[in-house]
Amino acid sequence: MTRKLRFLVVALSLLAFILPAGGALAAKPIVIGAPLSTAFLYGWDAERAMKLAVEQINAAGGVKVGKEKRPLKLDVIDTRDLEAGVPVSDALLAVEKLILEKHADFIVGGPVRSEAALAAMALLSKHKKISILTTGALTPKYHKLVAKKYDKFKYLFRISGEVVWMLKGEMVPALLNVGKEYKLNSIYIMVQDVAWARALGKIIGKIMGKKGWKIVGHTVFPTGTTDYSMALVKAKKEKAQIIVLAMDMPESAILLKQWYDMKVPALPFGTVLAAAEQPGFWKATDGKGQYTIASVVNAGNVPCEATPWTMKFVKAYEKKYGLEPEGYGTSSSYMAIYALKDAIERAGSLDPDKVVKALESIDLMGVYGRIRFDPKTHQVIPANDPKEGAVGTMFQWQKGKRVVIWPPSIATGKILLPPWMKAGK
Amino acid sequence: MEILIYGIINSATLALMALGFTLVYGVSRLPNFAHGALYVLAGYICWVLLHEVGLPYVVAGALALAFVAVVGGAMYSFILVRIRGMSISEIIASYAIGLAILEGLRWGGLKGGTFTLDSFVEGSVDIAGVTVDFQRILVVILGTMLVGLLYFFVNRTRLGLALKGMAQDERAALTLGIDSDRMAVASMALGSLSAAVAALILLPLGSIVVEAGYHVLIMAVAVCIVGGLGSWTGAILAAFVIGFAQILTVVYLGAHFQVVVALVAIIITLILRPSGLFGKQKELEERV
Repeated sequence: MTRKLRFLVVALSLLAFILPAGGALAAKPIVIGAPLSTAFLYGWDAERAMKLAVEQINAAGGVKVGKEKRPLKLDVIDTRDLEAGVPVSDALLAVEKLILEKHADFIVGGPVRSEAALAAMALLSKHKKISILTTGALTPKYHKLVAKKYDKFKYLFRISGEVVWMLKGEMVPALLNVGKEYKLNSIYIMVQDVAWARALGKIIGKIMGKKGWKIVGHTVFPTGTTDYSMALVKAKKEKAQIIVLAMDMPESAILLKQWYDMKVPALPFGTVLAAAEQPGFWKATDGKGQYTIASVVNAGNVPCEATPWTMKFVKAYEKKYGLEPEGYGTSSSYMAIYALKDAIERAGSLDPDKVVKALESIDLMGVYGRIRFDPKTHQVIPANDPKEGAVGTMFQWQKGKRVVIWPPSIATGKILLPPWMKAGK
Repeated sequence: MEILIYGIINSATLALMALGFTLVYGVSRLPNFAHGALYVLAGYICWVLLHEVGLPYVVAGALALAFVAVVGGAMYSFILVRIRGMSISEIIASYAIGLAILEGLRWGGLKGGTFTLDSFVEGSVDIAGVTVDFQRILVVILGTMLVGLLYFFVNRTRLGLALKGMAQDERAALTLGIDSDRMAVASMALGSLSAAVAALILLPLGSIVVEAGYHVLIMAVAVCIVGGLGSWTGAILAAFVIGFAQILTVVYLGAHFQVVVALVAIIITLILRPSGLFGKQKELEERV
């Protein structure tokens, strides 16, 4: 009798212990399909962030759908769309596989390359799959198309930044700020030969030219360039004070090493500069990346105190992966899972039309500020103050650390010039 | 002045990339399309030994060189020997091995731009008003030394002379007791070693990335086609032609045309002189 009683007590305690989570885990999981170019930073960091969010949500009991608690299940597929020579159709096949074979309830992440993301819009709409873009695709065309054909594309959202705001709201003000502080007014533009970077270089040249800055050179480098010496020699000769960079190829680290070795007296002002984003950049360039400025698109991809959630996220990421969030696509991918959870719980259903409505009315203080979507374009509402909207981040490498220098509301330091460069007069 | 200085550096870089490829083809008529993959493999092995195992740079470099030379020799002994003499099969098989190595490295974690090797010497110097870093000057010096060493090896050592004999007339060499397969293994090992040496000299200028394997292969093929397949003199001359053409293109046309230069050089050579500047194997057909 005593043995039976003891067994009963142990069994009941075990049940009581595992029931809350067990209830959710026993339910049918909500499948999140993540099409990502996993061989590249903007793919693998997004995957890691999503895994972290899914683990946290499942550990807390899952997502409440009506009266039932359901766990999340993440299915990642490699779209390879950031790899040179991989056709857009491959990314579309990957997305279709997630929908038809993996039975994804929602799509979060990519496709990562703008061209592939745009091409996937019709496919996602055809299957009525809610998709939240979190990384890579910066083209304004995406949200403009949503606004233009709302009924068709209403299932598509983007929770990360887009290039027009990044330019007008962040990069140009940051450039004007550094120009004013150090009396600099001449720019050399160096961009990668890909659509977004060429466009960004052109627009930034036009805007800064109108503001009275001198554009002393503009060089477009093919993807995979391993020698930048001639352009750097020219930048030195033409007395450029700032080198504006837009590149997502890893070889851009070579440019920064050459810039350091040649002691070019111009500040490397990266807009999107994938090589410089990663925490490993400092070691990889042996400290030669010092003073490089780059954007990580959203706050939280570099440690800062944008919101109370920012450092919680940074620390959780560090604990799980042993390094700081690595760059663009990390905090936004993490946040997208939480945004989806919030919307599903408020909708009380997985019905796409109901979840769309819930996402349109979301108002969540997230990792990089207040998360709200523009109800017409489904683009996350940006701001330079985290209380108002989603804030971006530009940082500068200083003594082995990524120091946030823009926007001022979350800055953790100010821009420094390299010692071989003098402020203007 | 900058055109001259960086033209020489760029040419030395191309020559280093292509030497191993032209050596293997010159000796054993084997188009080693795994050349670029061996280049990246050498850099990666050195990085692992340096940063993961904690060996000194010199030891890590030496072990990486030895490992890649062994891989090159083994590639011939176990795979390419079975299809020897069938050019198309040799190209396909060696390219497949290269793909397996490169994509295997990517699968194993070689992603992003954080895999780098330290420069041998830090700092830079002004030459006639043009700033050049010491590592690039070393590229020219070590590149010249490598060419000299290989020249000495081929013309002054027993093994080198045997390799040369094979290149000149395989049948005659066989009658003199030179083992064709052993020489092919030696040439593959030596060619792979050259690719590895090039990697250790050039990779400190950038990052160890999978894409470099494809880039090096394209450049090596371009240099060898323009110079004449298997011709050392031709390869070095072609490296200078393409190297300076690239720099002039960057200065006068724009950097984004740089990549096209090597490809245009291939097309022009194939139209005007298919055997290349110093190639001999098609001279008869060309004359006819």
